[in-house]
Amino acid sequence: MRDTKTELKLFTIPEWKKEEIYLREQHKNGWEFVKVDFIGLYHFKKCDPKDVIYQLDYNPESVKQKEEYIQIFRDCGWEYLQNYVGYSYFRKSASDMDGEEEIFCDDASRLDVMKQVFKQRMLPLLCIFLLIIIPAILMRSQIDTPVNHVLMVIFGIMFGLYLVLLIKFAIQFWKYFESIHK
Amino acid sequence: MDSHIRKVYVPMTETGFYILLCLREEAHGYNIVKKTESLTHGEIKISPGTLYGSLSKMEKDGLIKFIREEEKRKIYCITELGTQVLDLEMKRIERLYKSMQEAK
Repeated sequence: MRDTKTELKLFTIPEWKKEEIYLREQHKNGWEFVKVDFIGLYHFKKCDPKDVIYQLDYNPESVKQKEEYIQIFRDCGWEYLQNYVGYSYFRKSASDMDGEEEIFCDDASRLDVMKQVFKQRMLPLLCIFLLIIIPAILMRSQIDTPVNHVLMVIFGIMFGLYLVLLIKFAIQFWKYFESIHK
Repeated sequence: MDSHIRKVYVPMTETGFYILLCLREEAHGYNIVKKTESLTHGEIKISPGTLYGSLSKMEKDGLIKFIREEEKRKIYCITELGTQVLDLEMKRIERLYKSMQEAK
């Protein structure tokens, strides 16, 4: 039996809830999360199946005061695992909790995290889409050369990809927003 | 007190209120968690993500100030502005409580 495994799993930027559930499920099945690197390579090692809660925080400012940041979580019983593209990974065993615990205890702070992710990660993508891809397509549609046709196809594909991603993100954010304002 | 502070902190979240209440004495993050827990008989447990975010925000807005560091833990204390905000909140909550009693 192998005692480590690596899975390729893609979570888009706002899908941190899905990722937390994925890591918890893995641990329940006897695979302890070790780290994630590159574009979504999740490393696990074999362990006794256990219910462990994984939580992600998005707080790029904490990098400046990493030790103090981690210490607050450690004091509250959360183990710090790593930082990955702006997200900090924490876990705590369900048996160490009284009742259900999360790293956020009110909706105001959950909303703050969402706003941060939106401002720092989604807005740049939206700008590229509106200021580069769409103008490029509009400009190139006037020119009729073979090279331009190839470029148009490339921009067309990018347009499609961006549109799918942006719609996915919008739905995800809407879902979070709904869950908070229920 | 400028309008931004008023808009953000009056009324404030329960977590925010307990943070300011605890920081009338010097304390670090985990002190605040423990003290709040005992004040509320275990009913309110402040989570680390919420706590860290609130402390950073309040420090930036000048409601609390950083005093010193002890074993990787930052010790804070309430400022003059923080005390003003806390007073406003206390008055608001007192009014709520009184109205509640009178409306019985």
